[in-house]
Amino acid sequence: MKQSISSRLLSASAAAFTVATLLTACNSNTDPTPTGPYTNGIFVLNAGNFLDNNGSLSWMTRNGKTAETDLFQTRNRRPLTGGVRGYVEAGNRGLILVDNSSTGLDKVEIVTTDSLKSVKTLASPDIENPRYAARINDTKVYVTCWGTTGGTNFYGAAGYVAVIDLTTNTVTKKIPVQRGAEGITIVGNEAYIGGVGGDKLVQIMDTQTDAIKTSLSVASSISKLLPDANNKLWGFSGKNVVRIDPTSKTIEATILVGTDTRKSPSNLTASADKRSFYFMYTFYDQADNFNQKGEMYRFNITDATISTATPTVNRLFSGLGLDPSANVLYAGFSPSYKQAGYVFRYQPTGQLIDSVRVEIAPSDFYFK
Amino acid sequence: MTFRFTAVLLWFSALGISHAQDSSSVRQLQTVTVRGFAPERFMAGLKIQRADSALTEAYRYQTLADFLALQAPMQFKSYGPGQLTTVGLRGTSANHTAVLWNGVNINPPTLGQTDFSTIPVNGFDQLSIQYGSAASCVGSDAIGGSILLNSTPGWKRQGITATLGHRFGSWNSGQTQVGVRFATPLPGGGQLAGKTLVYGGTNRYLPTYSERKGYLVEPSETAQRGVIQDLFYRTKQQHQLSLNIWLTDNKLVIAPANPVSREITRTQAYRFLTNYEFGESKPGRWLSGRTLLRAGFIRDILDYGKGDDFDTAPSHSATDRLLVRAEHELEQSLGTSGQSISIRAGAEWVHYTARVDGYVNGALTEQRADLYALIRYQLTARLVTALNLRQAFVTRYDPPFTPSFGIEYRLLNLGTWRLDGRGNVARSYRVPTLNERYWKTLGNPDIRPERGFSQDLGLNLSDNVPGRSTSLSVSAFRNHVDDWTYWNPAKGYRVENLQEVLARGVEVQGQTAWQLGTWRVGAFGQYAYTRSTQLRVYDPSAIDVVGKQLIYLPLHTASANVFVQQGLHRLALTWQGSDRRASTFDNSKYLPEYQLVNLLFETAIRVRGWQGKAVVQVDNLFNEFYLNVKNNVMPGRSVALTLVFTANTKPDQQ
Repeated sequence: MKQSISSRLLSASAAAFTVATLLTACNSNTDPTPTGPYTNGIFVLNAGNFLDNNGSLSWMTRNGKTAETDLFQTRNRRPLTGGVRGYVEAGNRGLILVDNSSTGLDKVEIVTTDSLKSVKTLASPDIENPRYAARINDTKVYVTCWGTTGGTNFYGAAGYVAVIDLTTNTVTKKIPVQRGAEGITIVGNEAYIGGVGGDKLVQIMDTQTDAIKTSLSVASSISKLLPDANNKLWGFSGKNVVRIDPTSKTIEATILVGTDTRKSPSNLTASADKRSFYFMYTFYDQADNFNQKGEMYRFNITDATISTATPTVNRLFSGLGLDPSANVLYAGFSPSYKQAGYVFRYQPTGQLIDSVRVEIAPSDFYFK
Repeated sequence: MTFRFTAVLLWFSALGISHAQDSSSVRQLQTVTVRGFAPERFMAGLKIQRADSALTEAYRYQTLADFLALQAPMQFKSYGPGQLTTVGLRGTSANHTAVLWNGVNINPPTLGQTDFSTIPVNGFDQLSIQYGSAASCVGSDAIGGSILLNSTPGWKRQGITATLGHRFGSWNSGQTQVGVRFATPLPGGGQLAGKTLVYGGTNRYLPTYSERKGYLVEPSETAQRGVIQDLFYRTKQQHQLSLNIWLTDNKLVIAPANPVSREITRTQAYRFLTNYEFGESKPGRWLSGRTLLRAGFIRDILDYGKGDDFDTAPSHSATDRLLVRAEHELEQSLGTSGQSISIRAGAEWVHYTARVDGYVNGALTEQRADLYALIRYQLTARLVTALNLRQAFVTRYDPPFTPSFGIEYRLLNLGTWRLDGRGNVARSYRVPTLNERYWKTLGNPDIRPERGFSQDLGLNLSDNVPGRSTSLSVSAFRNHVDDWTYWNPAKGYRVENLQEVLARGVEVQGQTAWQLGTWRVGAFGQYAYTRSTQLRVYDPSAIDVVGKQLIYLPLHTASANVFVQQGLHRLALTWQGSDRRASTFDNSKYLPEYQLVNLLFETAIRVRGWQGKAVVQVDNLFNEFYLNVKNNVMPGRSVALTLVFTANTKPDQQ
């Protein structure tokens, strides 16, 4: 409970001010005791509501029925001050990507992996609209950024990759890449960078020299690529899924996803054996108040066509993740951006295991 | 539409009665009381709080947002200093507060709510806060209450008073005002009074630190300027012609140091109002009374853009309102036991034109009309009742018939002490805003007007003798609002009539002021408990929301101020406290509670007609940490100095 000087002074001084004490007494705002260490379990990335800048991390254990919430605040006695965009670990450091609704207030919080204690905050202009992060090695991390956005030409600025050195905890380079730089996937000594800024490219960066080696044109922007069991890369490009061979750097296959002209695929998630992928297939229903609708489906990497006849789970989710060690599917459910969401756990077949209440807009997971 | 029909019938019969009775030949002169246009007199049974005039004076150089926080239990929603700030009264939302400037609702029809950070305190002479539903008196929006801003002629302050003032604020903020106020008799027995005020300046929030306790500072800069012109002409026969002009221009820049993505919001308003009042009530002549004819024009312009877009391709919205109103008020004594009846019947017609980028067709027009009859009936010296009826008509809409009934009764007279009881039952409504109906994709043309039903009870104990005044009042209210519109975040913020809200609460307010020799001391304090919850389960996840306190609404709020004054020197301390505020519908996250103490010290020198005044204001004296709804940190301690020079041609009149 907090009692400021002002309250002490005034509540003592006059009867009218006893309300002051009443006010503070009503809210014993004691912070929950932090548990941990966060070594064996799941971080839930709660995006939060954009203008409220209240994204957060929750912690779940594999068998726990409740989640520990607002981890960063509890550990550091200050908030993340933005939506949580991503999380990655390298060595004993974690990087939380934070997106504030206002320009110049985005950041990357470098924290300890076991307790989420802040080590360093990287801020603007180094970090502007951080999107995805990838570990290169224990002391080096790539973070894709959109740069400043806004106005009629939303992705006006070039995107960039911020190269972060975890020995000095600084951004050592900003490598310009396509506009709206998005997902980043590491294959050997190469990073595959997607984007949503309209450049319709997959760029390939040498992770040793931090230079762009080559790029690949795509018919429609690819946000993020994922490797399968054969080390081929998969990603959604418009209504299709494409398969890229990282050796020849060519698009090997383009397969139409489903047949519903209203819907688009998203949230590509690999199964534990990487022989199949889960995804969301959604649309905004004009006939029903522009309500977002959709379901979760699955396809195999050997499928010649992708059918959306039978959903794996007939429900709309705001995030998907697969725990490879337990082979359990995690799905974030957001009733609205103004109330806490839930994580539903499923067997790989789509059979519900349980649900756990987390925080606002659970949109991604980090399994450890 | 039986209700509507009844309303029309009642309205015409009210006018009819006055005509039929006018044949009486008794002609007796009666003192004409020139009353304001605001219908406070017919708000019997409702709680009305008049703002402290000394504080109003001290806050002349600030916005209504800064000022109101000290006055009333209000639900403040601020996006930051100088940024969008709205208020809700009695557990309702920002759309449920009507803001009346000289009796005209100035809520822009696009948003249906007033941004109090764009309204300067200098724009009016008198401010009252009316609590609870008063839609029958003031029309749409007044579900939670209304803010009444009035310009008054000040006939008694004869001569010319010229003022020049400047406020030096923190972070290089400044506000300048130049004004002239006058009242003068004219040849032939008439009188002329008026006020001209030109003001401008910039308020900045640019602290050297970028965060506090880990919460971010969002820098901003707000340029404000405006012109106010009030003119009142009164003939010997007490006919009055008045003209009120109020032009405001407010430009907010968020993150001003970042040219690429700074956000700019410019709000402009042009408000013109002219009134002609004539006639007087004569005993026995039921037609006689005071007639008001009014015409007005209000243009609201809102431009928004990021970076260079603000200059090249801003999002633009402009609405025009052309209004005419005719109103007749009669007052007749009935018998000799102090019975009297006042009836104000009127009709208003407003033509709306809106040109908004975001609307499906870009531009649209709409007609609105109101018929109303306000009846105040004094049964005995101790008992007053008010029955008010209103029917609104809106193009393509069907607002409900809105009656209200209020009663005030003097329970006790004990020496100089009095105990009054009051009660009010009212229906209220809100016509959905133009944005709610016509915004592309998200708007919903089929949305229904909101409907409220409220009950309000109060007791007021007061003691008023020369040199000493004390009062203590207690109020309890319940307000049930159905079809509450909602930009549903679960449906991409599409507007729906989803909510059914029950607001209830208790308010306690006390005030005392004493004259002790050459010293004046006083204190004011108020506390409110407000509980406002969603009742209807509209989707499976709403189970987590039903029964929870509405967002940003503190359960407990309180404010207090104390002052000591000697001659022209005055010291005042104000305090406000707010309970924590939920920031999510399921109350899973909160903004922390806070308390603010402000200090005001005023001193002045007066030499004949000349006066120099200095006001030192320390806001957030104890540097309290508190947050706005964007989860960004609000200003810590800040200091401002205001210097005002006044010259008066007739100093004796001061």
